[in-house]
Amino acid sequence: MRRWKTAAVVMLAVTVMTACSGQRPVETSQAEAPPAATGPTRGGRLVYGLSADGNGFNPITDQFAVQSYSMTTPIIEPLVSVDANGDWRPYLAESLTPNDAYDEWAIKVRPNISFSDGTPLTGEVVKANLEAQKASPLTAAVLAPVTAVELTDPMTVTVKLRQPWVAFPYQLSLQVGMIIPPASLADLKEASRTPVGTGPFLFKEYVPDNRMVVTRNPKYWREGLPYLDEVEFRILPDSQTRAQTLEAGGVDAVGTNRDEDVVKFGDMKDAYTVHRAQGMSVSEYVFLLNTAAPPLDDVRVRRALAHALDRDTIIKTLRGGLTEPADGPWSKDSKWYVDGGYPDYDLAKATALVQEVEADKGPIRFEAISTTDPNTMQLVELCQDMWRKAGIDVTIRQADQADLINRALTGDYGATVWTAFSAADPDGEYNALHQAFARPIGQISLNPTRLKDKQLSDALDAGRVTPDEAVRKQAYATVQQRLRDQMPILFIDHLNTGAVIAKTKVRGIGEHTLPDGEKGRPLTGAPIPYHPFAQIWVSE
Amino acid sequence: MIVLHRLVRLAVVLLVVTFLSYALLNLLPGDPVTQILGMSATEESRAQLRQQLGLDQPLLVRYLDWLGGLVTGDFGESYITRMSVGAELAERLPVTLELLVAAEVVALGLAVPLGMAAARRAGQPLDQALTALSFALLSTPVFVLGVLLILVFAVTWQVLPATGWTSLTTDLGWNLTSVILPAVTLGCGQLAVYSRLLRTDLIATLQEDYITLARARGLSPRRILWRHALRPSAISLITAIGLNLGALIGGTVIIETLFGLPGIGRLIVDSIFSRDYLTVQGGVVLISVGYVAVNFTVDLVYAAVDPRIRHA
Repeated sequence: MRRWKTAAVVMLAVTVMTACSGQRPVETSQAEAPPAATGPTRGGRLVYGLSADGNGFNPITDQFAVQSYSMTTPIIEPLVSVDANGDWRPYLAESLTPNDAYDEWAIKVRPNISFSDGTPLTGEVVKANLEAQKASPLTAAVLAPVTAVELTDPMTVTVKLRQPWVAFPYQLSLQVGMIIPPASLADLKEASRTPVGTGPFLFKEYVPDNRMVVTRNPKYWREGLPYLDEVEFRILPDSQTRAQTLEAGGVDAVGTNRDEDVVKFGDMKDAYTVHRAQGMSVSEYVFLLNTAAPPLDDVRVRRALAHALDRDTIIKTLRGGLTEPADGPWSKDSKWYVDGGYPDYDLAKATALVQEVEADKGPIRFEAISTTDPNTMQLVELCQDMWRKAGIDVTIRQADQADLINRALTGDYGATVWTAFSAADPDGEYNALHQAFARPIGQISLNPTRLKDKQLSDALDAGRVTPDEAVRKQAYATVQQRLRDQMPILFIDHLNTGAVIAKTKVRGIGEHTLPDGEKGRPLTGAPIPYHPFAQIWVSE
Repeated sequence: MIVLHRLVRLAVVLLVVTFLSYALLNLLPGDPVTQILGMSATEESRAQLRQQLGLDQPLLVRYLDWLGGLVTGDFGESYITRMSVGAELAERLPVTLELLVAAEVVALGLAVPLGMAAARRAGQPLDQALTALSFALLSTPVFVLGVLLILVFAVTWQVLPATGWTSLTTDLGWNLTSVILPAVTLGCGQLAVYSRLLRTDLIATLQEDYITLARARGLSPRRILWRHALRPSAISLITAIGLNLGALIGGTVIIETLFGLPGIGRLIVDSIFSRDYLTVQGGVVLISVGYVAVNFTVDLVYAAVDPRIRHA
């Protein structure tokens, strides 16, 4: 009897171990051509780990974070894209032509494109989309300068603006430029869950907080694309187990912003590739300072805070030395960057400024807001210690994301951690820096530092209305100089640790061409970047 | 009669719990409008949306409105996803239920034999080793245990998936494979508690006269343990199962995040962060009903296990 029982237990154990062995059965590749070492191969399946789910996939009603762009852009495409040099290029649009004053843009729609539901893409559809975006509370502020959208001919839409806006096409590379078919416009709620577009992939399945699966669009308008048969986006919120899942073979690629992942997988060059965002795509890690409330309404205090911060030590201590110190909203590899004028680390200068202010107004005390995650808390505590050495008393308040954003918008803060400035064009920061968007404390202010600086605002206006690149560069040089002079924002570093890590078999991440042949921008977005999927292939 | 009495108590519990959670959530700074519209929306857009969502109404009016819907089975609509809260909960409930049941199976399946072995050899090396193991499990946070288990079973040995979820109806085999690590991680803390409780009660029971009599009759130690000692020693264990449900549900939040499971715990926490009041309320109702129902069942099981309670 006992022998029989033992045998049964052994058999059960063997059965369970057999069932448990290995990963999920990998679907057979539908490759149409044998893998070639020299070029892309069609077929295959990619499992891609994302850090969070999207709130929905409707560009008109759902706020898009980077993960939303990852999941939605394979299905829904924008009118405009951005090339590797950071210049806008037509995508679903064939051309975008301004009038002489740049207060009208004629958008000519690329011909012979259909949505996956069979509806042709026309000027009428683009007009309806732009009007819906203009009416949406989500995007109305972005399109505030738009006064009318008119159909000039069946394939051309003219957008009329309140003022010249040379960088207007960049907006159409984002959420407001993503085009959905009339059926989705008619049922916005359904479009949130079941996205339909002109893109290289078709929506197949979505399980909230778990996965989204998209399959190849056989009628995609760009010939020969996409290469992959299927992409599964797996939602894995914990960064550590997301990386472990990559190591265990459960996914083929993941997005991350953990320094240790960048270092660890970067050292395993035979098995993984690490793709990091660069240039304008990289956001900056900063402290916003509330310039409308004491003591930070005094520019001497703001400059003292900057002098007291040793950014090199912060980077060495908390970023593993991977990031670059920031001295403005744009990194050194951007064509808009100008050098000079940012307060250097100089504790003696900081202390002198503090003593000067204290002689006038008494002790300097304020509250700095941190998010609740330990990495951010460590950074804020390190800064608190550096400020204390200069004689500034800073207390820390922990707030979750919703609370922090609300406080920033209503001015209920002294200083707060923040990440920003990843727009493709400097004009993308217009609302956040211009004095016209600074409101008194208690009111919603799209300019959260509430700095009212005429020179800065005039420079932003100049950058918005003039097409001359030299003049624009001068305008944005002034923006940087005024920010360094007035210090409404303490810049810490360029957060270029946002990365996509993939197994070496996954090819083409960040290497894609646009419809007219230009090389596209590799990766964009923060804190974890995203990229197109149409030209990714698996070399198996 | 007892069922009716329990139902009345359940209604009172639900009223108190849902009102408190609704009020507390509304006291949190920030609101769903900022979450929906983000940084770039104007004051006018925000006011318009606030009105559309009914957030401009007083708290009590909103609560009563929600309660009126609940009575008719309508949990309301999520502010963030605009999906029916009832449908969202129904989609996620099987995941959390399966995780909870699997964790309890792991905990009880190991705690009973380990507790009995420890009680039978109280004070001996095996008992001391099991005591040390219990304290080790109790003092290890679930997120540490989860990461360690993933490292061993998924990364190093590659016999189990690190993360991910497949529903029972999609693929039974893969579903069971994907629930093992989360269930073991969640169940280990309970295993320690259960085995310690059972050990303590069994040691006391084994001192009873009727056990001495059974030994005198020549019954084998195993028979005495299983047939005569286990049942009267299980009352504390059964109580702990009911009471620990709350802790277990709390644990699912971490486990679901760690292993990427689309369950109720993760939904509630995400909804708290996004100030999605109605989704949180729906989750609170579900958990409250579940908690009361499980403890009601525990009361019934008491009577089945110990006839003295039934007769009393």
